[in-house]
Amino acid sequence: MNSEGMKTGKSEVITIGKNGRSLSASLKWILAGIVLVIVISFFISIAIINNNERKSYAMASSENVLRTLSNRISSEMNNYKELTRIIMIDDRLLTFLRSEAYKVDTGMINDARYGVLDILYVTEGVDSVMIFRNDMIMMATNRFFYNYDYKFMNDDSWKKEILDRRGGATFSMNSFGIASRSDNKPVLTIGREINDLLSQKRTGIMIMNISQDVFISMLNELDLDDSVCIMGTDGTYLAGERKLMAFYDEKIPEKDSIITYESGSQGKIVRGCRVDLLPIIIVSATDYGPEGIPYGIVNTLIILMAVLVASAAFYGAYIRSRITKPVFELSKKIDQNEQSGSLVKIEDDMVYSELNMVKDSYNNMIEHVNELITTVIEKEKTVQRMEMRVLQEQIKPHFLYNSLETIGYLAMEAKADEVHDALETLGSFYRNFLSKGSREITLEREINIVKDYIALQKLRYGDIIDDVYDIDDAAAVYIVPKLILQPLVENSIYHGIRVKGERGTIGIKGRVEHGRLHLIVRDTGVGMSEETISSILNKRADYTDARIDGNKSGSFGLWDTIERIRIYSGHDDVVKITSEMGEFTQIEFIIWKTIE
Amino acid sequence: MPGKYRVMLIDDEESVRKLMRKSISWESLGMEVAGEAGSGIEAINTIDDIRPDIAFVDISMPFMNGIEFTEVATERYPGLVIIIMTAFDDFEYARKCVSLPVFEYMLKPMVRAEVVKVLERVRAKLDASAPASEDDEDDADIPAEDDLNEKIRKYLDENYTDSKINLTEVAQHFGFSPSYLSRKFKQSTGRNFVEYLTMLRMNRAMELAKENEKMFIAASSVGIPDPNYFGRCFKKFTGKSYSDYAAMHKPGK
Repeated sequence: MNSEGMKTGKSEVITIGKNGRSLSASLKWILAGIVLVIVISFFISIAIINNNERKSYAMASSENVLRTLSNRISSEMNNYKELTRIIMIDDRLLTFLRSEAYKVDTGMINDARYGVLDILYVTEGVDSVMIFRNDMIMMATNRFFYNYDYKFMNDDSWKKEILDRRGGATFSMNSFGIASRSDNKPVLTIGREINDLLSQKRTGIMIMNISQDVFISMLNELDLDDSVCIMGTDGTYLAGERKLMAFYDEKIPEKDSIITYESGSQGKIVRGCRVDLLPIIIVSATDYGPEGIPYGIVNTLIILMAVLVASAAFYGAYIRSRITKPVFELSKKIDQNEQSGSLVKIEDDMVYSELNMVKDSYNNMIEHVNELITTVIEKEKTVQRMEMRVLQEQIKPHFLYNSLETIGYLAMEAKADEVHDALETLGSFYRNFLSKGSREITLEREINIVKDYIALQKLRYGDIIDDVYDIDDAAAVYIVPKLILQPLVENSIYHGIRVKGERGTIGIKGRVEHGRLHLIVRDTGVGMSEETISSILNKRADYTDARIDGNKSGSFGLWDTIERIRIYSGHDDVVKITSEMGEFTQIEFIIWKTIE
Repeated sequence: MPGKYRVMLIDDEESVRKLMRKSISWESLGMEVAGEAGSGIEAINTIDDIRPDIAFVDISMPFMNGIEFTEVATERYPGLVIIIMTAFDDFEYARKCVSLPVFEYMLKPMVRAEVVKVLERVRAKLDASAPASEDDEDDADIPAEDDLNEKIRKYLDENYTDSKINLTEVAQHFGFSPSYLSRKFKQSTGRNFVEYLTMLRMNRAMELAKENEKMFIAASSVGIPDPNYFGRCFKKFTGKSYSDYAAMHKPGK
């Protein structure tokens, strides 16, 4: 895995994580998406605006048509209403109406007809006028084009509507139902009561039928034939586009109001209204306006879109140059670190504080890792160095040489037994000392080393040392780092007992309490000053001239051993030193492993 | 001249001294072992009696190590041939004294053949320079003797606690040869110089013993910081060991 990384590392500088697309890659898609959305919404909004614009245009224009037409019809119908008044006072008609029934003859009727026709002469729209005397003697201008329903005519019901108006005009379709044109053409009918001016009594009823041509020509004039339909409220077709009749659903629109039957479908708006006071409905279909695009709005939209697209592009470039690129560089740097194997801090300044935070965190981590590595290396170095020094110092060749010299002297003195004992002791010492190269041995074995050591020292310096041991069973099998006792004993001999000039005792105690080994070396030497004790306890790794200084202060081998036990145990609190000047020195090690 | 060259062995291990004394055939080299010392301190105190031509000095000794001793000795005894004995792992020490006028450094453990070779070279050197160093001294203009003795005594009274003081040092201080000073001192006081110095120290030591002071402290406070040598001096002077003496004079008794 690692070696593979090293191989591919050079060619492929940046590997994007498999779990996620890279920011820069998805950025392209995101930007493309944004542009697409912008363009689509641009066209949609253009279409909506355009549609609305055309629709409101159509609405306005259809309203316009309806109002105009409705007014036109109203005023025209008023004209016809006026006409009925004029007809009402025609002399010949009056004669016809006033005469006794038996006096009425065809001549009189014709006179009345001509009187009416004279008046009608000024207008084209009147299809026919019918006048009924109270006795239902009838006069009509155009009677032969009509079919009459005589039965209904003699019924009073159709008159009721007219009579209710008490002289006012009322409108209806197709002659109130009493007559219809033989060609079935529809007519709008005005009906009114005729009252005698003198007697103020009703003398008859007038019905005026207005031709559909009036409406047709009206539409023609306004060029609305195809888009407007005029019809009666009862559904009778009057003029214009027949198809539009279908939209009128018998619901009579309110006065003055416009009903929208249909809007939008097939680009048309169909609306209708009722002509004021008349039984007439106008239905108008208006096409949507032409492509009534409001260019002001569109231009604004285009500018807006351009701005959006440009800013999207800008943000893309911005993110690329300010975020993804620095991130790549950062990751490149980290990769380089990984490949070079040395953990170097990244010094380059990142553009943003966020990236700087990432960089700082990385740097902090690097620092921490480097510290850890240094600590571990230093610790291992210290252990090795100290073990080396233990080997060199404690079992210095010096010691061997000195022992050999001593034995040599014994030989010269021809003390054969003692020579043998000494050689045996020396052999035993080195066997235990070497311990097949193991770094940790049982306390028992360590004690044996010390016993041999002391025996050999006694040979060198004369019988000035007594040694006493008190090791409990659990302690004897306790595992300890090799050669932790011997330096203490050496310290006791050289810096405790020998310098006192008196015979001295070295007592060694070992006991296990709560799984912890308490190892005590006590000598009756010169003691140790507070100052020396604290300098030993507080001394930290500093090897410059430690040997020379150490030899002078007598604390070197001791300190070394303390440090080894600290490292072995994994904590600092491993030693207690008590002393009284001129009386004793006691060093107690408390050994237990807190780490493996 | 008839005299053999005098050799002094200075080593803190008795067995080493004895081995040297025994294993080298001094006689055939025209030398003799004139004395031993178990420490630099002891050597300083006895060297004026032993008057060695050659000194074997062990480097690592308590109280006053070989280097300190050599520094003192080369200053006071310019003719003395010093051979440093050093264990291999004391090399740091040895490096420190390369500037000292030492005749030879030898590694321990000693190999007789090597020692003999070196001693032959020493002998040749001493033979070559021997005649010059014989007649010398005596005479010189001497101030009034009483006055001189007063001065010397006063000097000793004031300086006996200095562990490096000895006859030669005092002689050099006053500008005489040691032998002259020794002679004059004995003439006027009836006492050997060394005896006088020892007396000063032991008197003080007895006072300290009466105060129940620890031996090693008493030793260093009277100028003999080697308690072993001090112990011997004390016993020789009072006839009792220090601890016995102290016990006898315990305040309770």
